[in-house]
Amino acid sequence: MKTSLTQKMVSTGQPVGGGPAVMNPFEEFKVFRFEKTDIPLDQIVQSTEAVMDQIRRGYEKLLEEEAKELVWMVQYNTIIKAYEVAERYVREIDYSAEDIEDFCFALENTQKIPYLIPGPAGVYISALCNYAKEEEIILKLSELKTEINLLGFRLPKGKRMMIEGDTGDFTGIGLEGGELVVEGNAKNWTGAGMRSGKILVRKNIGLHTGEWMMGGEICVGGRVRGLGNIVEGKVFERDKLVYPGKVRNPNLYY
Amino acid sequence: MEKNGYQKQVMEVYQFINDHLYFNRPDIEIKGERYNSAILFSLLTALNKGKELIIGEPGLGKTTSAEFVCSLIYQFPLGVIWGSEVSGHPEQTEEKIIGRPDLGKLNRGEEDVVWTNFSQIPVKIVDEINRLPETKQSMILDGVDRGNWEYLNEMIINDEYCLFATANYQDGGTNTIIAPLVDRFDTMVESRYPGAHLSFLIGKTKRKDHILRHPKYEKDLYRVLKSKIAHEKKIPKLEEICNAFGEYVEEVLGIKPLQRQDRDQIRTEMESLEMDLDASAFTRMLLAEFSFCERYGQKRVVENCEEGCHYTGYLCHDIKNCASNRLPTSIKQYARGLAWLMGDGEIDMEHVKSVLPYTLAHRVQWKDEVLSQKERAKRDDPFPIFLAKEAVKTISQRFREQSEHLKDALAVGSKIFQGESLEVLEGDHPVYVEIKKDIEARRT
Repeated sequence: MKTSLTQKMVSTGQPVGGGPAVMNPFEEFKVFRFEKTDIPLDQIVQSTEAVMDQIRRGYEKLLEEEAKELVWMVQYNTIIKAYEVAERYVREIDYSAEDIEDFCFALENTQKIPYLIPGPAGVYISALCNYAKEEEIILKLSELKTEINLLGFRLPKGKRMMIEGDTGDFTGIGLEGGELVVEGNAKNWTGAGMRSGKILVRKNIGLHTGEWMMGGEICVGGRVRGLGNIVEGKVFERDKLVYPGKVRNPNLYY
Repeated sequence: MEKNGYQKQVMEVYQFINDHLYFNRPDIEIKGERYNSAILFSLLTALNKGKELIIGEPGLGKTTSAEFVCSLIYQFPLGVIWGSEVSGHPEQTEEKIIGRPDLGKLNRGEEDVVWTNFSQIPVKIVDEINRLPETKQSMILDGVDRGNWEYLNEMIINDEYCLFATANYQDGGTNTIIAPLVDRFDTMVESRYPGAHLSFLIGKTKRKDHILRHPKYEKDLYRVLKSKIAHEKKIPKLEEICNAFGEYVEEVLGIKPLQRQDRDQIRTEMESLEMDLDASAFTRMLLAEFSFCERYGQKRVVENCEEGCHYTGYLCHDIKNCASNRLPTSIKQYARGLAWLMGDGEIDMEHVKSVLPYTLAHRVQWKDEVLSQKERAKRDDPFPIFLAKEAVKTISQRFREQSEHLKDALAVGSKIFQGESLEVLEGDHPVYVEIKKDIEARRT
């Protein structure tokens, strides 16, 4: 077979599309043993991405099972059931508090997570917080546009959860002895059904605060818009005890 | 590489010049040894068939350093070297530099060329090259580049030659050296002030240059040079006389100059030395930084950097021109010479880093803002060499940080060229973009 002059001159390189071979300008490096070495940052990014994928898949499963047609009614039963499903997935993931915060942002900013439904999202994040290795969890959510509901659901004793930013409805409901600090505002039904523990809201709080709470404390740095039907426990507004007190008309406090 | 005696012989020449002929301080350290850059690079130039530009203040030994080196490496008595030097001045002509018509033959209606000594002998020294007007500098371009000297449709080709040119700093009588001529010089060194005490000694002692003179051999050499025989036939005759002068030098001074076969052998040994992978990757990184422009494809002296360019932190942003293809040739040539002289088996990073500032300094056109920013910096070197040394330091730092990744990227590039289906390794440095461009060019 005849070899073209160009091909003769070139020691390596594959002819492309039947044309002459191209000189390999990196030929001397063919002897260099190429090993894909990960720099530490790569490893961190990769492991973070892997964990995020797992967390994301758990959330998607929760939506599949509990929010069919993308509708989710906040009822006591639905919350309990969603939480059980979330617990099931969360227990299998090895994650850190930082991953929870990343997930909160991914919920809003990534195309990989299709729907942010504040209810199931809050239940899922609460499950993540309750099963996290760390005792103290700080979530910096002030940049988040959506206020997530149900944060701090069933926060157990020994856990402290601090949220920078505002939270949605049903914050800290069913609290089980943990300490929940909200640096911004909290909406309605905060602390509903909580049994023990402490909720501290630095700014204002909405209606039905402490509805059916059985114990513990809710301290509000700003104004309490309305109290719920409280069974037992204490509510403070700017260090002043407002429940138990004279107020008998829930949600008509002001 | 095992030393076979030539390295020792060359180092003895270095030492002899350093101790007896050209007094100066060492100003460069390579692998723990200190050298004087003017002598070291002149030796490498003479051995390598290179081209060197020697700058410095008047009277600081620019020309004499080159003369001593050439005399001992090429075995020419100083008288012949002096008689073949070309000096730069505004009235210089082609007839004085290259050759003139043979007037006797011309009278008889025949055309023949009488070649100058400068064009005939392998040692070429152009004194004060920047006193040649720009228009006349182009006369010597081809000769400087290829060793081809043409006159009246005749040509002589120097198989073996080296060129030294000296230049003063700018004054009323100097011109700038045109860019294509500057680029043809492989290296630039400064012949520096040796310090008050060594300078005092130079004044105190008698002239040393007479020890490299020999009137009889000088006359013999002139006779051969002036003879009408063909240039090719003159060469063995010249060599014969040069060898006799070499024996005289060995007998009287105790050092052995290099004969033609010695020089050829040394060059063969040098050519067998290749760059190791670090040296190669480092040189590629440097070349990328001195030629890269994301916006316009490459550096061009007529184009300016874009505002807010991503590559603002790299040296491409500080310079105006593009590195020429002669730059890597010079780097390799001198690094190879240095590796040989040190008896090393490969050209490594140290060799490359040592020669780089001297091969870059005259070729880089820095932007005005860079010049004004750095001109007051404390330094020992002339400004262009200082800037080049700073640039080499900067790139060395970058290379240290990412040498493995860069070698990986180059290895991946090689595998892709061999047909493997791999992803190009990314990186921020311009060299990675250049790798990508080569691979894309292959794929299309």
